[in-house]
Amino acid sequence: MDRQRRVKQAWTIARIELRRAFFSRRAFWVYGLALFPAVIFFFYNLSIQIRRSSLQSGSLTTPALIDSIRIGERDEDILARLGKTKRDYRWQSNIRVRDKEEKSGITTHKIDPAYEARYVRLNIMVPTCSSDRTTRIYEFEVYGPDGATNLALHRPVTGSTPCSADEGPEKAVNGSVAGGIKDRWCSHEPRSYLQVDLGEPRPIGSIVIRHASAGGESAEFDTCRFSVQATNDNKIFATVVGATGTRLVEEITWHRNLVYFDGRREVRLSFTDGRLTAKNEKLLVDFEEDRKVFAGVFQFFYLRLAIFFGCLGIFMNLFRGEMLDKTLHFWFLAPARREVLLAGKYGAGLIASSVIFAFGTLACIAVLLSGHSSAEVQQYWQSAGSAHLFWYTAAAVLGCIGYGSVFVAAGLLLRNPIIPAAVLLAWESVNGFLPALLQKLSILYYLQSLCPVPAPVDGDMPALLRLLLAPAAPASKAGAVIGLLAVTAVVLWLAALAIRRIQISYSTEA
Amino acid sequence: MTSLSVVFDEVSKFYGEVLGVNRVSMNIPPGITSLVGPNGSGKTTLMNLMTGLIHADAGTILMRGISPRDPEKLMRITGYATQYDAAPRWATGFSFITTGLLLFGYSRSEAEQQAWKALEQVGLTDAAHRKVAAYSKGMRQRVRLAQAIAHDPEIILLDEPLNGLDPLVRAGTIELFRTWANRGRHVILSSHVLQEVDLISDQVILIANGMIVAEGKIRDVREEIQEHPSQFIVRCDDASRVASLLFDEDHVTEIRLNEDRLGLLVMTRDREHFSRSIGRIATNGHVIDSIIPADENVDALYEYLIGEGK
Repeated sequence: MDRQRRVKQAWTIARIELRRAFFSRRAFWVYGLALFPAVIFFFYNLSIQIRRSSLQSGSLTTPALIDSIRIGERDEDILARLGKTKRDYRWQSNIRVRDKEEKSGITTHKIDPAYEARYVRLNIMVPTCSSDRTTRIYEFEVYGPDGATNLALHRPVTGSTPCSADEGPEKAVNGSVAGGIKDRWCSHEPRSYLQVDLGEPRPIGSIVIRHASAGGESAEFDTCRFSVQATNDNKIFATVVGATGTRLVEEITWHRNLVYFDGRREVRLSFTDGRLTAKNEKLLVDFEEDRKVFAGVFQFFYLRLAIFFGCLGIFMNLFRGEMLDKTLHFWFLAPARREVLLAGKYGAGLIASSVIFAFGTLACIAVLLSGHSSAEVQQYWQSAGSAHLFWYTAAAVLGCIGYGSVFVAAGLLLRNPIIPAAVLLAWESVNGFLPALLQKLSILYYLQSLCPVPAPVDGDMPALLRLLLAPAAPASKAGAVIGLLAVTAVVLWLAALAIRRIQISYSTEA
Repeated sequence: MTSLSVVFDEVSKFYGEVLGVNRVSMNIPPGITSLVGPNGSGKTTLMNLMTGLIHADAGTILMRGISPRDPEKLMRITGYATQYDAAPRWATGFSFITTGLLLFGYSRSEAEQQAWKALEQVGLTDAAHRKVAAYSKGMRQRVRLAQAIAHDPEIILLDEPLNGLDPLVRAGTIELFRTWANRGRHVILSSHVLQEVDLISDQVILIANGMIVAEGKIRDVREEIQEHPSQFIVRCDDASRVASLLFDEDHVTEIRLNEDRLGLLVMTRDREHFSRSIGRIATNGHVIDSIIPADENVDALYEYLIGEGK
């Protein structure tokens, strides 16, 4: 009889509190948290619908024709077979490459008719065609009209300040290029020069310059722009080789992308110079991928944040709110045991949070499924759909049971809700690192074990975040339910002890 | 008798290091009992202890045989109109009382019937469906009173119950207290307005600094205080002559004549001797119109017992 009366009292209290739990101002941001994923999925579906109708107008073809496409086919052949598509994108890419007809890193400059001079000077205008600003000349050769003898070989030579003592101008007239970077003339000066004294005026028929790549360095360091001048009196110079450079040419590649859609698949065909090089198929709506995305959203957002903070708002306020409003005595003066009051208020919070978050979960799943074909949805229901629905809803409700018990106890024991919330959040976050025994003292450990689809952990994620999100070793579903209820029972028992000790003194109670 | 009394046995309560009440022992029989003391003397602490809103650090309390730690039983026979002014945000006057009654196990129709009856008793039926938060101070006082009495309790605790009531409601409320007391119920109220307590109380408990300084019927308390002279106002035709006759008596310590020469204030250490002396004077032909005790009220008791603590 007593038990019946107490149950009735608890239910009366719960009914009164439900109004506050459902309709208080604080409850509205709980609704926001609960429905946030559904809203996101709704807009995602909307964007898919827009994409679908866009693809259907002008890019539609049949699955068979898409399957017939082979790598290496010409773009015009594919267009002829599949028809034109609205999504036809073309562009060209240019890269500078060495002229294939030129020997690597060696430039030869004919002087016709031959010019007679004693001094020959190489003027460097742009050292390289890259961002590097160092001149590298491995050999500077001067030939007469017969081209037989290198007139500059071992002749006196001057030049701009070298990069180091053993990379002086003499290395450019030593007749060798095989000695590595110590066999070159090198200078960091912005407009450097190299001048050879032939000893007496000699007719010059050609100039050969061996640049960086002739000595084994990257072609990138070959001289970009230079000129050659000659003189007899070392005062008045005549340009015998006008401004020129190592011969790089623009290589143009033509690219083309064609996009087709067969009602399910969006296919992107990539052509290079008219030949198909890549065929990327993507399902416009990928049921498997969406299930994984939902699993991630449910575990990383819904359980860890939405239900956590939603329960914080609802349950912490059950007693703390009354203390702040100075109305808790109203309940303490009722002919009811304090434990009955706790049960009634916890029950109200539990009903409210469970309804809100279970509805949020169901709404999210419904919105997710609405973006897929009825055949896919039907197949899903016939396989694992109903079990998934049950376990996700159960996890949401059990989350409310577990977190609710913790926050109702915290509301009785502590004045500031931020501290226990932060501690619990940290505890739940490091759950994966904890020893097996301590993992069992976490609500999240049991909730994750109930989730029917494991949450994907992206390999590109930062290591610390990946560790924090990594689930603990899962328990069996039955074990998880029993474990969570056991943890809840212990916490509620502590809350019952606390409520028996609470005294009304609004200005001083802890 | 004990099971029908409110009993405190060596009860102490501290708020941290601050004294609430210290080693309070008392036995309150049914009737109207007033807890009297200045602000901060411990009146509300005693009431909160009686109802279990706070717990004693030492000693035991029994409310008609029930411990305040058992609200399930205690609050069934107890109604407490607290000084806390706030009501739940959702509450109208009517729902405030009805909700409380539902927790007693009344059906909704019974609860509503009882609630109307209580609201009628405190004159709040017109404002029944307005939010308590929008009530005036006096109306909030009345709705708390209505909530305390709605389940027809045997022990009614009222913390400063007459504050903010208009004279008409005040008179009705005092009448209500008397009716309950006459039915053998406990009406325990706290007040620092001594005159009203004097008029309505069967007994008083004087509190100062968390300790009981006197307990009992006002007259009995007065008589127990031997070291303080009793005061009487004597109205007579020849006040000067009567004063000179009384001065001859050993028990008379002081006499003050009224300016109109028709009355005097006599202070005596022995009330019985004083009565005999007045009898002799009247027998000798002096007309004595009236003799009124001037200090059989809580003001005077308070002055004697607490003095500057008042």
